Amino acid sequence: MRMRRHNASNHEEGSHGIDLAPMLDFVLNLLIFFIITAIFVKEFGLEVNRPTGFNEPNQGESKNIQIQILETGEVFIDNRIVDVRAVRANVERTKALNPEAGALILAEDGAKTGVIMAVVDQIRLGGVFNITFSTGG
Amino acid sequence: MRARQAHQESEDHGIDLAPMLDFVLNLLIFFIITTSFIKEAGVTVVRPDATTAEHRESGNILIAIRENGDIWMDRNRVDIRQVSTLIERLHIERPDDTAVIVADTNSNAEVLAQVMDAVRSGGITDVSIAANQPGG
Repeated sequence: MRMRRHNASNHEEGSHGIDLAPMLDFVLNLLIFFIITAIFVKEFGLEVNRPTGFNEPNQGESKNIQIQILETGEVFIDNRIVDVRAVRANVERTKALNPEAGALILAEDGAKTGVIMAVVDQIRLGGVFNITFSTGG
Repeated sequence: MRARQAHQESEDHGIDLAPMLDFVLNLLIFFIITTSFIKEAGVTVVRPDATTAEHRESGNILIAIRENGDIWMDRNRVDIRQVSTLIERLHIERPDDTAVIVADTNSNAEVLAQVMDAVRSGGITDVSIAANQPGG
């Protein structure tokens, strides 16, 4: 009889507190689910502006660097045809004359993004980070 | 006496799970928070290369432009006219979000400009164009 009572009290002690095992299983499953679905995006990009609605003062126009990109992938600066790799030198020269110069890219509608991004990259290499991108015929 | 000894032993058995549980819960919260922030485009495109590409820390809305001019957002193909509405909705949900346009190397400048304008009219002014960093 004494033995039985001891057993009963032992059983009671064992059932104190909540059993955490099922909760732990559940939480671990959730964790694995979120680890698997988590997407770690490492996005690399270039920031490019779009022309804003208001008109900027006209005097700045001549100081800025204007680069035209044709559908064929040809790049024009000051009505001269220029190799993509030579854009940087032109940008550096203009920047030396006017350190506050921005760059304006005028691309034809059919121009390829690859060429535009190459030009943007070259302009940035030349030290000009204020780049505006515009399209038109 | 023998019964009590057995009882003591059974109490000492097993590892204390509480610290592990705390750790696992913290991990869980971390993953829940980070996972929902990114809106994937859902297609793969050939990105242009750029040596000056910068890491965009908070670029979470990805808009892909394919070679043929298709626009993909949030794993769906969308029309150019839908882009600004979708961006507007996402912008209201989380005003800190920025957009990254993932344009294919051979996509047209016209579509790129239209998408940029649509994103801007949707309220997100911080727009950048994705590029690959060669060797990075």
